[in-house]
Amino acid sequence: MLAFITRNVLQRILLLVIVSIMAHSVIHLAPGEPSQVDPANPRMKPEDIARIRAAFHLDDPLYLQYVYWVKDLYSGELKSFKDNQPVLPKIWGRFLNSLPLFICATLLVWTFAFPTGIHSAIRRGSVYDRSSTFVAYALISLPGFFLSYIMVLWVVEVFGVPVIGMKTFGIEGAQPVFRLMDRIWHLVIPSLMSAILGVAVLSRYVRSQMLEVIGQDYVRTARAKGLEEDTVIYRHALRNGLLPFVTMFGLLLPGLIGGSVIFEQIFAWPGLGRLGYEAILARDFPVILTINFIAAVLTLAGTLLSDILYAVVDPRIRLQ
Amino acid sequence: MTIKRLLLIIPIVLTIVLLQSYFWVPTYENQASGNPNRLVTYIEGSIGDAKILNPILNADGASSAIVSHVFEGLLDLDEDLSLRGRLATDWEITEKAYLLVNLKSRFPDGVVVSGAELLRRIQQGLTQTSFSELGSHLTSLRLLPAHRHETVVSVSIQDNNEKPTIETVEVAINVPERVEFTLDHVDQDLFTRLTPIIGKHYVDHFSHEPYISIPSEVSLEIQSQLKAQYPELLPVTEHNPQIVFDLRKGVTFHDGHEFDAGDVKFTYEAIMDPKNLSPRTSDFEPIKVVEIVDSHTVKVTYKRLYSPAINAWMMHILPEHLLNQQAMNLEMMERELSTEAKKNFGMRDSEFNRHPIGAGRFQFVEWQGDEFIHLQRFDEYWEGPAQYREYYMRIIPDLLTQEMEFLAGAVDYYGAQPHQVARYKDNPAYQSFSSLGFGFTYIGYNNRKPLFADAKIRQALGMAINIDDFLKYLLYGEGERITGPYPQNTEWYDHSITPLPYDPDAALALFEEMGWQRNADGWLEKEGKIFEFNLITNSGNPIRKNVMTIAQNAWKNIGVKCNTQYFEWAIFLKDFVNTGEFDAVVLGWSMNIDPDLYQIWHSSQAGPQQLNFVGYHNPRADDLIVRIRQEYNRARQRELAHQLHALIAEDQPYTFLYSPLSTRVLDKKIVLVDSDEEGNETYGKIYPTKTGDELFYFHRWRKLEFTPNF
Repeated sequence: MLAFITRNVLQRILLLVIVSIMAHSVIHLAPGEPSQVDPANPRMKPEDIARIRAAFHLDDPLYLQYVYWVKDLYSGELKSFKDNQPVLPKIWGRFLNSLPLFICATLLVWTFAFPTGIHSAIRRGSVYDRSSTFVAYALISLPGFFLSYIMVLWVVEVFGVPVIGMKTFGIEGAQPVFRLMDRIWHLVIPSLMSAILGVAVLSRYVRSQMLEVIGQDYVRTARAKGLEEDTVIYRHALRNGLLPFVTMFGLLLPGLIGGSVIFEQIFAWPGLGRLGYEAILARDFPVILTINFIAAVLTLAGTLLSDILYAVVDPRIRLQ
Repeated sequence: MTIKRLLLIIPIVLTIVLLQSYFWVPTYENQASGNPNRLVTYIEGSIGDAKILNPILNADGASSAIVSHVFEGLLDLDEDLSLRGRLATDWEITEKAYLLVNLKSRFPDGVVVSGAELLRRIQQGLTQTSFSELGSHLTSLRLLPAHRHETVVSVSIQDNNEKPTIETVEVAINVPERVEFTLDHVDQDLFTRLTPIIGKHYVDHFSHEPYISIPSEVSLEIQSQLKAQYPELLPVTEHNPQIVFDLRKGVTFHDGHEFDAGDVKFTYEAIMDPKNLSPRTSDFEPIKVVEIVDSHTVKVTYKRLYSPAINAWMMHILPEHLLNQQAMNLEMMERELSTEAKKNFGMRDSEFNRHPIGAGRFQFVEWQGDEFIHLQRFDEYWEGPAQYREYYMRIIPDLLTQEMEFLAGAVDYYGAQPHQVARYKDNPAYQSFSSLGFGFTYIGYNNRKPLFADAKIRQALGMAINIDDFLKYLLYGEGERITGPYPQNTEWYDHSITPLPYDPDAALALFEEMGWQRNADGWLEKEGKIFEFNLITNSGNPIRKNVMTIAQNAWKNIGVKCNTQYFEWAIFLKDFVNTGEFDAVVLGWSMNIDPDLYQIWHSSQAGPQQLNFVGYHNPRADDLIVRIRQEYNRARQRELAHQLHALIAEDQPYTFLYSPLSTRVLDKKIVLVDSDEEGNETYGKIYPTKTGDELFYFHRWRKLEFTPNF
């Protein structure tokens, strides 16, 4: 087990270096310049642009720019082109903002997907099963941003309350309990919107997984023993059905970074996804590359975690 | 079965916890219940976040909006867009002018020029009646002795790889004797007036070579570049306008430090410091020197005549004590930077840019990236505190969400889209203001192309388009026709100029006059070629795209074949506009308040990458443009600007289309508050200035708990 982990970690570190080099080249291949040196800005004289380019090392060969990036990232002095702020604290601050949204959305996905999926599987072919399948596919097909806009319009028009941002503006003077509830309210719509697709997809998985398990011999055996139907389903079937989902936990990690770019944009949520998106628009290379790097780290860590979890929960799997 | 129950109970509990929070959130109608602070808080929405809150470094809209509340300039614009003193109480513009003693030249009567003789003749001339006007403005006249000075000149040369590099050369200049004139106002024609005394060719007959010595080892290429700069290094005639600012006493920055002349000089120096990479350098480049006369008087001397330069003093003033080298060193120590970081540390890296301290009406409190910027009113502001206590700029990147927040009462202002204006105007809960900005949209013809070379053709093309169509169908009536290159709400715009009529028949007649006949297919044809060209614009701007379509259709009706195409912005600029490789473009300008049109219309600015990309060339316009930027008398400037406007309207290098209106919607509960000395308040309806800017009175705005009836 230990050997497996060590080998995997080493492999992944190598992969990480390759990924970061590729990301670096791809970003520099993309057309466009950092907004600070945009030649279309009439206020900037060519000499000024040349000076900024030199300060950002933009005219150095690509491999040198990569070395500068790694060096600055390692020393913690990497700065955003856009506002000269250190990149790592900036990303950390945004990460803390994205976290509640991510947790809330994940909770919604996992708590709603299981009951709906299991219920569909048990009553396969019933009206409930068919209608939930229909709704699930409808939600998968409808673009999330479209639903979000409709939702925002509806909530504002009908209830007249704010839904955008992390809190209502101008509420700073109110009592703590009002402020807390206000924060929760602002979580509701964006996390619901980003959870919808997850619920729809995951509940389909749960359904098919349960159907497969229910058809297994040991479920028939359990029923034949005369166990109660609930015990059969929730103890014997569900436990085995859960196995593949355990591994999905590991894959949740990278969602922390890119999971909600669209929703953060629509709901003016100052999160990590939006930071990355705006960095791309401004060609803020240090921020893009660092976020990309962290995303790669999380993805690789997530897959490693999945591998390990799988081995832990399913003794049939042996890691070589 | 516990698991079964849990699977049901958990989602239900989660739902209840989340949804009950709705009942705690304030709605539009009761924004202030339990939260009276909401009434003295102004919240504005912004699409983008600020980047850098330093007036000399920022270049984006959001940063400028914040900076204009936090900082104060020496001057700003009043209701009529005239200059008004803020940190400066008064200012006076005078001039020092210099005339080199050209020893190689002769006076009109044949006598060889010498310093003493030149001075004597000018003094004598001034007593004559023909010079009485000049004489009355002249406060002193003297002869300066010859002197030598050394300077460093930078030239740009191409190295072996064709890359431009900057080289510096030390140059010694033996300045001969000069006559110094001190005038109590700026006179751009001073030296022309002296022609009867010094002769017509005094200036042309000056040879620089004997006076300037350059190191012998420099290459021929550098030498020739240096020679081109000689007239600048040692000008025969020189105008040095001077502005003396009297500064307001007793003004403090938000940290309590008193504002004085040192801050003004420091701000200027910070802008010009190449290390700071300030995007404002070009506005201050004409300045020769900024001198502190006393703690509250500053004297600014300019290198040459350039009247819009005074507008640069609307620049917000930085606090010297927080940003000078000493403060920078302290900050470097406190932040424990590495040696490498210290080496490059400059104003751009300072924490000040995220926690600005100025002398404006509002002081900075907090900036949460991509979320909001919070300001609080400055109670010690010299003109008295504002009515609003708190100011927030919220970053809401999406227009629809901004509108939603406005409707929910979490933003106080909404910039309505043209198609929404009518809806908001009819709604009794809101008040709305429409104002013209400084921008306009036009179709620009490449004047270099033979097809468009004749002004009559450009007029005919303009007359074939019904501009009311644009206003009606593209802007929903939210725009106004324009006839020339100035913003309509400035005094430079001549309202007496009538726009081109919409008259396709007359347009066709003009084409026929120029030899174009409609052929069998209906296209205009001359010498076997039909009138065909490409009209292009940038993608991502639906209005410009539609302008193209309407124009294309209008021209088709009179037999002009126009092909339209649009390109991504960077490509559009790089491959077409900057190179001049286009027939016609749809574009817009956002203008300034000053009447200087040099960059856009002067024929010297028609090279690659320059702004006169349509290649407009008219010697009369060139002359007017130069005279306008050298004229310091506002009335005369206005007269010249009107002449220029008429000239450009006649030439039609562009078809001037329209200037869009922007509409601001506010809650009707926001009013103008006036309080008398006893604290009694009267409320009035918010109104815009003559130039359409209602924000001018922002410091008197406040929100009431009820909707007033006016």
